Amino acid sequence: MTDSTGFRRAQVAVMYLVLTTAIASGIAIYSSATTFTTLLRTATSGLFLPILLAMIVAFMLEPLVNLIENRGIHRTFAIFIIYLLFSATIVLLLIIVGPPNWRGMMQALKADVPRYISFAIVYLTGLLELAQQHFPFIAHYNLGDHLRNFSQALIGAILVQTPRSAMRIGSLLILVPLFSFFFLRDSRRIMRGLISLTPNRYFEMVLDIYAHISWQLSNFIRGRIIEAIIVGLVVWAGLALTDIRYAPILAVVAGISNLVPYVGPIFGMLPGITIALVDLGVGPQFWWILCVYILIAQIIVDNMILIPILISKVSNLHPLWVIMAIIMGGKLYGILGMIIGVPIASIINIVILEIRQYRRTFNPYNRYFSSRGKML
Amino acid sequence: MNPNPFWQNIFRNQANKQTLAYFLSQVPIFSKLTRRELKFLEKIVHIRNFEADEMVFSAGDIGSGMYIIRSGEIQIFSVDNNGKEHDQAILDSGDFFGEVALTATRPRTAGARATTATSLVGLFRSDILEATIRHPAPTAKILFGLNRVLADRLHHCSQQLELLQKAQEPDHD
Repeated sequence: MTDSTGFRRAQVAVMYLVLTTAIASGIAIYSSATTFTTLLRTATSGLFLPILLAMIVAFMLEPLVNLIENRGIHRTFAIFIIYLLFSATIVLLLIIVGPPNWRGMMQALKADVPRYISFAIVYLTGLLELAQQHFPFIAHYNLGDHLRNFSQALIGAILVQTPRSAMRIGSLLILVPLFSFFFLRDSRRIMRGLISLTPNRYFEMVLDIYAHISWQLSNFIRGRIIEAIIVGLVVWAGLALTDIRYAPILAVVAGISNLVPYVGPIFGMLPGITIALVDLGVGPQFWWILCVYILIAQIIVDNMILIPILISKVSNLHPLWVIMAIIMGGKLYGILGMIIGVPIASIINIVILEIRQYRRTFNPYNRYFSSRGKML
Repeated sequence: MNPNPFWQNIFRNQANKQTLAYFLSQVPIFSKLTRRELKFLEKIVHIRNFEADEMVFSAGDIGSGMYIIRSGEIQIFSVDNNGKEHDQAILDSGDFFGEVALTATRPRTAGARATTATSLVGLFRSDILEATIRHPAPTAKILFGLNRVLADRLHHCSQQLELLQKAQEPDHD
């Protein structure tokens, strides 16, 4: 007995059973996978930042450790020496300069942030009114309200988050040195263990590609961090010449935002410009601050000196990818995601480029195919 | 005194003769290394195990290092245009091969295949490069040993070439 499609009833029944089983098992796998990933995500949520920071610290300290190690000193001992030197420097700085006045700084910030933001609101409302004169159809968009809500949220966040973030910073101060110690000491052993799992046929290729990628990566990360530090220092030095307040904080903001190419520096200088406008007004100092941010830090130091020296062209991303990486990173991890989105995209870029390069030059099956892809 | 080789095997073959460092010290390239340098060498080599008839590499692959045979047997062969294999050499424990690719990225000139279950000790360029940064002195000594053996081979080669030329000279006359 056959129906119009040409299947017997038994066949249809079997097919029905198979499809049902497939769908059911698919759903089961999917749901267990999602519970598993949520479990994994909750378990690792607090680990992301410390591991990231520890990797950066490890990448930064690696050359120093190597320098000590190749004098014939054991690696573990070399790492301890570096740690000791660093903590000694910090203690010395604390003794000489004295501990920073956190309380006073917090109090001042609490008082000043609303002032700066209300200024920004007034300024932007003025801009909006100007715009409304020219483009009447945007009359209903109330930018001031948005900004006010945002500023209230920000101040609330600062008040609530400060004790919590102090806790987090405390745990970071313990976790990051611990993790980076093990990364520095054992990363080679861990990676060797992982690489040794590859099948014999691909072992040499994987080893070679890994060596290339890790070389590129460490250069890239080191270059980026050094660039950010130098830009931060330049901004600090430039701002310290004026009467502007919070120069160190502004310098830190400028340095960190410099990790994001193209867009980062613009956002990095907004707080500085706002504070300068509010406290100093438009005058010679304001123009000097603008000059420090744009001309000295960005154009001369960063683009003319640092980037050609530190950052290789290989890891350059197209601006389109940069913007997409910032948006995607922001969706995933907020402000932190925006900062690390571009470096992570560059890392993925480096990995893909290296593998493609290797496949092109070192393709083990090259000789079986002609240049047009035909079997020989 | 126990005449039974079975018991000899258990008690005489002490643990230190089973170690990788001991094996490496028996290889001519590394014969001049001290105990500490051998320990270091142990950390930068990779042990790869091959089954019988498994390819180690084929001609034309991009090589990145050399192999030393710890146990088993390796057949070096080339393939001619008709796809027929020609044996070049059969190597066994203690021999090394593939050393040309250690210093420069170049394609393997011949294929290598394990004829029995084989354990190889691989020494690769990327590890050597890293080791030169971290431990220059022992690495230099390892490379020096390699250089010595290669120079011996080259010397032997040129001697053979000379002999061949001398043998051919009467034909030219």
